[in-house]
Amino acid sequence: MSAPTVEIHDVRKRFGRTTALQGVTFDVAAGITGLLGPNGAGKTTLLRMMATVLAPDDGRLRLLSWDPQVADERLAIRRRLGYMPQEPGFHRSFTAFEFVDYVAILKEMTERRARHDEVRRVLDLVGLEGVSGRKIKALSGGMRRRVALAQSLLGDPDLLVLDEPTAGLDPEQRLRFRELVSDRTADRTVILSTHQTEDVAALCQRVIVMLDGQVLFEGTPRELTQVADGRVWLADDRAAGARLSWRTADGAHRNIGEAPSDADLVAPTLEDGYLLLVGDRAFAEEAA
Amino acid sequence: MTTTWHADPAALAAYVEGSLDDVRASSLEAHLLTCDRCREGIATSTAADAIDHVWGSIVDTIDTPHRSAVERLLLALRVPEHLARLLVATPSLRLSWLVAEALALGFAVIAANGTSGQDEELVLFLFLVVAALLPVAGVAVAFGPGIDPTYEVAAAAPMPADRLLLIRAAAVLASSVSITALAALALPDLDAIAAAWLLPALGLTAATLALGTWVRPLVAAASVALTWVLFAAAAAVSTQDRLAAFRPAGQVACLAVIAASAAVLAHRHTLSEGRIVR
Repeated sequence: MSAPTVEIHDVRKRFGRTTALQGVTFDVAAGITGLLGPNGAGKTTLLRMMATVLAPDDGRLRLLSWDPQVADERLAIRRRLGYMPQEPGFHRSFTAFEFVDYVAILKEMTERRARHDEVRRVLDLVGLEGVSGRKIKALSGGMRRRVALAQSLLGDPDLLVLDEPTAGLDPEQRLRFRELVSDRTADRTVILSTHQTEDVAALCQRVIVMLDGQVLFEGTPRELTQVADGRVWLADDRAAGARLSWRTADGAHRNIGEAPSDADLVAPTLEDGYLLLVGDRAFAEEAA
Repeated sequence: MTTTWHADPAALAAYVEGSLDDVRASSLEAHLLTCDRCREGIATSTAADAIDHVWGSIVDTIDTPHRSAVERLLLALRVPEHLARLLVATPSLRLSWLVAEALALGFAVIAANGTSGQDEELVLFLFLVVAALLPVAGVAVAFGPGIDPTYEVAAAAPMPADRLLLIRAAAVLASSVSITALAALALPDLDAIAAAWLLPALGLTAATLALGTWVRPLVAAASVALTWVLFAAAAAVSTQDRLAAFRPAGQVACLAVIAASAAVLAHRHTLSEGRIVR
């Protein structure tokens, strides 16, 4: 792994009585890193910290080798940061163009002509050039997500923090998103959270699985898939040792769990690895 | 369409260069519009960046956002284009808000003109108390978490949230003071007391912004408003003079509040250091 662009060391955060993060440690290097985990795992809390809008209660956080707690360094980070929140708000009477233009001004692009060129560039990137003059309240949910994505790409940031960028996108839009994000040069850092294991498998060089405010797994997508090696098999029925089992289109049951010795093992997917990892932890907690 | 004559190559070259005089350029342009061959003749020699520039200007003109009445007013007042864009998203600078302010004060003025003696003094008291509070209400909803839908995105942008709030607050204050000043001119018995809301308005707005260093704008505004109403009422009751809060002693108190608030705002950077989002 090359030099880390994001360093997170023993970061903790509480909201009232709820512990959102209980000592999270990992590094992220240039490339695309995916955050996986069930709802409430702490992904959004962590991403908001990486976007400099939330401070940790405790622990150390460095972004692009700067400290977001120091005002000058925070400004330096923000000048190289693109952020797409999970639920981006809009001035609904703005058009798509006006909204992205507004964010461009907040990003210190004061010269009108250059700013408008940049706004057009990012709207083109997300495929919204045809509807840039339409009011945001008249756009579909998927289009709004793309408007939110477009503003995060303004100024071609070094650090791109995307909170569930593919939620609400149709399959074609998701493929376009993958194309767009993977096209970016290799020296940029992209961190995205998602519920779509296919996105991680298709796109990410690194994957981090979170559960209950802790890091459960950190590695490559291949390593996450390997968690399920020897634990996925096909059978005529739901198998006894299976933690999860479903009937596939051709009638056989795909079982995930502790395979019997004579099982008809099949190659696992990243989703299998993820389900087993999260399921094992839940199982261990139940047993304890 | 075909024509019988074609332009002189030297004239075409001069036209492309931009060195042809206006009269001949205009006549040549008229010809180019109808002659395919001459158009083709200049197509290859026209600089690509010049075409890009023209095309860019056309696209930019088409894309230029529709400007609301408020934005056009701001531009007419020589507010820079990018600041005007940041201001039009302010709820308390929308036309509806400004109209509501004008109506509220208008009714008070009408009431004041329709009464006399003790009642007139009561209406004047209410006018002055409310006039001082109007910019506070405007500032409360100018910018902040839960108020501006784009707050989360704005918080991660290089422009400091504090500066955006101050820019919007200044515009809100200016609009509110202008409307109130117009309304005050219509008060009966126009004298110094008709302007007695100005320093309180400035003081309360400054106090709201200063308090915003520690609490959300809405909480700051509510606290300031409540304190102000209690202060004005207490002064009236204790001195048997309804307008006591607006007499010289009250004005001096407002000046003191403005000075203290300015000191807090000047050191806000260090006071809120380490905190990223309130």
